[in-house]
Amino acid sequence: MLVKDINQNRELELLILASIIAAVGFGVVAYLNMVKPMDVIIAILEFCGVFLALHWLMRVKGHAGDPLLLPIVGCLVAIGLVFIFRLRPNLLPYQLLWCAVGGLGFYIVTSLFRSPEQLQKYKYLSGVCGILLILSTVLFGVDIGGNKSWLIIGPLRFEPAEFAKILLVVFLAGYLVENRMLLATNTWRIGRFTLPHPLYLGPLIALWGIGLLLLVLEKDLGAALLYYGTFLSMLYIASGRKSYVAIGLAFIIAGGITSYYLFSHVRVRFDMWLDPWSDPDGRGYQIVQALFSLGTGGIFGTGLSLGRPDYIPAVHTDFIFAAIGEELGLAGTIAVLLLFVLFIHRGFRAALVTENQFCRLLAAGFSSLLALQTVVIIGGVTKFLPLTGITLPFISYGGSSMLSNFLILGLLHNISEKR
Amino acid sequence: MERSIQRVTVFFLALFLALGLYLTYVQFITGERLSAHALNRRNWEMAKTVPRGNILDREGKILAHSVPLSEKNMQYIRKYPAGDIAAPVTGFVSDKYGKAGVEDFFNQYLSGIDNPQYRLGPISSLWKRKGYNVVLSIDSGIQQAAYQALGSNRGAIIVMDPRTGKILAMVSKLTYDPNNIADNWSATVQDAGSPLLNRALQGLYPPGSAIKPLVAAAALEERVTDSQKIYKSPGYLKIGKYTLHEVNDKALGNMNLEKAIALSSNVAFGQIGLDLGSEKLGRYFEKFGFGLIPPLNFPVERGRMPQFNQLADGELAQTAIGQGELLVTPLDMALMVAAFANQGNIMKPMLVTSVNDDEGHTIKSFAPEVWLKPISSRTAETIKNMMGEVVEWGTGTAAGITGVRVAGKTGTAENPHGAPHAWFVGLAPMEKPEIIVVVIIENGGSGGGVAAPIARRVLQKAL
Repeated sequence: MLVKDINQNRELELLILASIIAAVGFGVVAYLNMVKPMDVIIAILEFCGVFLALHWLMRVKGHAGDPLLLPIVGCLVAIGLVFIFRLRPNLLPYQLLWCAVGGLGFYIVTSLFRSPEQLQKYKYLSGVCGILLILSTVLFGVDIGGNKSWLIIGPLRFEPAEFAKILLVVFLAGYLVENRMLLATNTWRIGRFTLPHPLYLGPLIALWGIGLLLLVLEKDLGAALLYYGTFLSMLYIASGRKSYVAIGLAFIIAGGITSYYLFSHVRVRFDMWLDPWSDPDGRGYQIVQALFSLGTGGIFGTGLSLGRPDYIPAVHTDFIFAAIGEELGLAGTIAVLLLFVLFIHRGFRAALVTENQFCRLLAAGFSSLLALQTVVIIGGVTKFLPLTGITLPFISYGGSSMLSNFLILGLLHNISEKR
Repeated sequence: MERSIQRVTVFFLALFLALGLYLTYVQFITGERLSAHALNRRNWEMAKTVPRGNILDREGKILAHSVPLSEKNMQYIRKYPAGDIAAPVTGFVSDKYGKAGVEDFFNQYLSGIDNPQYRLGPISSLWKRKGYNVVLSIDSGIQQAAYQALGSNRGAIIVMDPRTGKILAMVSKLTYDPNNIADNWSATVQDAGSPLLNRALQGLYPPGSAIKPLVAAAALEERVTDSQKIYKSPGYLKIGKYTLHEVNDKALGNMNLEKAIALSSNVAFGQIGLDLGSEKLGRYFEKFGFGLIPPLNFPVERGRMPQFNQLADGELAQTAIGQGELLVTPLDMALMVAAFANQGNIMKPMLVTSVNDDEGHTIKSFAPEVWLKPISSRTAETIKNMMGEVVEWGTGTAAGITGVRVAGKTGTAENPHGAPHAWFVGLAPMEKPEIIVVVIIENGGSGGGVAAPIARRVLQKAL
């Protein structure tokens, strides 16, 4: 048997494992909540259908991507679907739909960009579109749940920031790959410090300054942190210069302190991170409730459907991780954490496997982005970091987030293909 | 680019490792605390559907239990068969007004939040949830006798076993009925008689002459007196500009320490206080635990001591007869008597003896422990015998019981709120003390006339 076939069989076996997770989870929740068995069986079949179809399509079309990527995401999506079924049963059909739309997006991306390096041509178009998407929310954005980060076009409503992040990573990968030698060698000395030459860093800083400013105007702190962190990570990977990271961190800290004094919502977030118990019924309510959830879960959890994570506001989106902590306990949260670790590790591995420099930076950028997003939101709901409202990739409820993460998955899948 | 990608990978993996360790800390180390936290709404919900454990007296008699409201829903209401008699002990529990007493301080056991088998994840849903039972040292019979003996007076009674520190009865009046506290809440809170105050542990009173055994013990230990030393009382004692009076200015004549206690001579004890000096007197108050919070897992008020190093002679003499700035709780007085009853040892006061599950398995038990040893057993024996004379022929004869030798001390404490508070502190039987009783009647009048007969009725039941 060929290596490719072995890998594809392995992918199928692991996908069956993900399907079992979904089936058991759905079964338990349905049994305890007395849901009609037929509805649940349909949901399980829908989930299995999407992932097995993707597996089959990849096989038929001769893809040889990393066989772990799709199953890991399958497990994460399965856990997410089970928890949305348990927390907001009426949203399950939508989340299943988003999952299917994501699968479709994955298929289109894998087919369209069989050679992801061709994306390099569109780097400026990507950058401009990314900025326009963000700009569009400032001008036409609608406030849903605290952030003015939604766009409504006819029957569609979506969060442009979720797609802008992909476009900006594509732009950065292209720009940095072309200028990396210049960035690494052309330096500007001020006394003892070696700084990048302003001529090459200027455009980047300008672009990111605009992006961040727009995000600050929108009060979408989480996205701003995410973009900036990804930018720094990619800049470091491209240039190999630690001084960039140091300067970048100094910027973050200075920006953080400034926004602490300028914006009351930043102040509230920060103060409630330091001590949510000073106002447990008011500004600290959400984080205190999340901590109660995690603590009540203990090591083994209360069991699916047997806890009360519904006390936490926004539990099905940003705070879904706390619900997992309550009902599956530390065992469940560590398992989810390990799934993300595996996924991100495979992402960086794809970056190392590919020969193309652009693809390399693109994969590393996407992996950094998802790693940061995971740490920032899990850290936020557990009081490890100040809370910023972003979604937990593949698990939180939401169509934009699901689709954009599947698009990233598609690109990583193609990059991981050894050619 | 490979090396920097590897470095970034390691950085993110380290970040995830830190997050995992932090999660372990939150869910494993602080999990129990967060789960039992007072603001955790899960506990409020559980309190409605999970029956609380019973509160039982030392013979297993029910003082509080949860009864299903109806067959259909899983709602329970709390019933207190002893009603207001045991209210200072049981306290109450109410969704709206919180908790008090054992219901409050042993809530983690009664509510079942602490039961470890409920933390076994999904498996714990197999158990029928019920709180643990809390067994008290209270004896319902003595509790009821003390409640009746107090009658319509305001005040408190504590009955204790000096050998173990176990509290056998604790009565406080005015009080409330925990069965319908929620309905009567505003009236109860506004009542000038402070029914929610547990006077036995939280009432602060001047001890009056009831403190004299402590002063006598201090003087014997410090050798500023002995059984031979004669004190002369012309009915008053002049200390500079200040004059200390005997009751009714009665000239008690010549007397030794035994007679001075039996007749409760203010002049003799004022003199002993001056002979001891403020530093030594203060030290003995401390040795007996006055001014400390006794180690009872319950809301206990700390006694108020004067600033001993700043006392003028007149104030020192006043302190030695239990007046002035000195304020004590009935529990403080019971623990003082315990030293005389138990060879100079004060046991830790105890109200809860064990926590059991429904099948009778012990979850937690509390063993008697020595708290303080303020004086030698010889001094304790001497003072106990002198207190015997108080009941034999002195001011406390009304506490005497035929067939049992009772020892005690009366107190008539002047206070700014009207008639003096009446005290009796006592122990019985003299030979091998098993029972301590402390009675305080607010504004009751004379200790020997009012408090001593009440103490006798309690002792008769307890022995």
